[in-house]
Amino acid sequence: MKLKGNESALSPIWNWKITALSFALLFFVAILAISFGPVPLSFQKILRTLFGLSGGLTGQERTLLIDLRLPRALLAALVGAALATSGAVYQTVFRNPLADPYLLGAAAGAGLGATIAITSAGADLYNLLPIFSFIGAILAVLVSFFISGKFFAEPNSLLLSGIAVGSFATAVQTYLQQRNSSSLRPVYSWILGELTVANWQIVTWSAIYILIALTILVTVSKQLDGLMLTDDEAYSLGINPNRLRVIAVIAATLATATAVSASGLIGFVGIVVPHLVRGITHRVTNRGLLTIALVGASFLVLADLGARTLLSPAELPIGVITAFVGAPFFLVVLRKKRLVTQ
Amino acid sequence: MFKNQTGSAFRIALLSLALSLLSFAPADAANPTPKRIISLSPSATETLFAIGAGAQVIAVDDLSNFPTNAPITQLSAFNPNVEALLNYKPDLIILNADATKALDIKTALEKLRIKVFLERAPDNLSRVYQEISALGRATGNVAGAQNVITDMKTKIKAALKSGRKARKISFFHELDNTLYSATSDTFIGKVYKDFNLANIADPAASADSAGYPQLQSEYLIKANPRIIFLADAQYGESIKTLAKRPGWNKVSAITKKNVIALPEDIPSRWGPRLADFYQFIATSIAKIA
Repeated sequence: MKLKGNESALSPIWNWKITALSFALLFFVAILAISFGPVPLSFQKILRTLFGLSGGLTGQERTLLIDLRLPRALLAALVGAALATSGAVYQTVFRNPLADPYLLGAAAGAGLGATIAITSAGADLYNLLPIFSFIGAILAVLVSFFISGKFFAEPNSLLLSGIAVGSFATAVQTYLQQRNSSSLRPVYSWILGELTVANWQIVTWSAIYILIALTILVTVSKQLDGLMLTDDEAYSLGINPNRLRVIAVIAATLATATAVSASGLIGFVGIVVPHLVRGITHRVTNRGLLTIALVGASFLVLADLGARTLLSPAELPIGVITAFVGAPFFLVVLRKKRLVTQ
Repeated sequence: MFKNQTGSAFRIALLSLALSLLSFAPADAANPTPKRIISLSPSATETLFAIGAGAQVIAVDDLSNFPTNAPITQLSAFNPNVEALLNYKPDLIILNADATKALDIKTALEKLRIKVFLERAPDNLSRVYQEISALGRATGNVAGAQNVITDMKTKIKAALKSGRKARKISFFHELDNTLYSATSDTFIGKVYKDFNLANIADPAASADSAGYPQLQSEYLIKANPRIIFLADAQYGESIKTLAKRPGWNKVSAITKKNVIALPEDIPSRWGPRLADFYQFIATSIAKIA
């Protein structure tokens, strides 16, 4: 992730115009998302309801908007922001453009937690699925840390232990799944990611954790650029690289674990969005972290709109859309970026 | 992807091991009536015991929990293990066609001179009857199978006579709380259709060729079903939890208290208890007009 020698290195590091533009994008996409669904609602009335004006939606139509479409769009935005930002941070911390939020075993750990909740016969555990997957994700990352021992003296060893812990958790998960074949479909649909369960309670607690994590990450984003240098150079800039890495990974893991426990494993957002934003804005620095968060939010809100409408009145797993739309789009940006930098 | 590769590599190793044991296999293929049957299908297990083949059954898979005197084992119906099966020295194995590598396992077992009855998930009632009588022929219980079929036909006819609605009533069949459902193309969907109930999942039929689409909450509220059948009652769903879902408290089935918890297992088995399921539906919708 080196600075490429074109004008991007010289352009202002943080651009309020781009941030404002991505805010506007998110707002526009969110309005679009809540305007579509199996029940047609008047666009004017939607706006009036949102801004608390008279003449808005009433009765069941109001419930549809306020209790179904709005929490779902908000959850999509939160999850998208969490995954995109965590991905960008992991890419910096590990100095690896392929790093994604699930790198340290968070996805496999969450998958194992969810499978335990689903395969347990009792009704009680089934309702605790979000908590189980949250704990699973955090535990997997912690174990990866402890096994690699020296924390960040060797980022690659942490990366490898993350992969090993992830494979181990996946193996246990597959075993449980095979022993409880009736759980196959719920586990499978959880793995593909789903926002169908969105309600205000889930939105509230995911918002708390994700916003705390994002605030920490955006606050340290200026220093994160120091991690792209060697550790000696970072120290000379007054940055303690190891402490910074631990803070960044903890915050990114909190965001990822929350996102995963609220919505399952939605892939590709964590890799595509950071590169997309860097590709379009020609900014490789982490000062664009807020922009990455906003674009990640917009991307997932839009993907969820597709998930709800393409097969209506049925649902399409959102993970299918993020990869189906994200991958080709990403390739186009990648190609253009290469043409620019050559 | 890796999982599958290692899985099939393991299975190939297993098969070759099994084949090398060929000469040691019991050679009682001359005997037409099987005496050591393994059932790897909960539905077939129920049928075998109902038609009078229970005494010939030596082992059933880990999900065959009915009847309670069936010799339940750790054998997996979903992912059968040839060597584990051989351990029981069976002479007939009932194998579900949907099991992992069902055809390969059938070939391997047949090379070991073990008869295999490949059971396919039926998609309508007459297929169920065909399968029961086929199981009767395969196990030497033709008369028993015929009795079961006659009995089922009588019960189902009576259930439909008392329960079939003159006018269509809309319903939603809930598989889980993420709103997976079953259309009229599925076996269970056809049962409801026989009672002249209108399935709100049918407009979503194109979403899944197997007939199990995931519906949107908003669509369900709009469709406003008059009956809700809960296949996930065993996971804690009830009219109480349904009423708490956003916007659901105005759905007709909930305001009129027409939420019906389905019994465990029975709706997903195409054995003799299918007739009991018809009777259950008839009774539970009797008062709904």
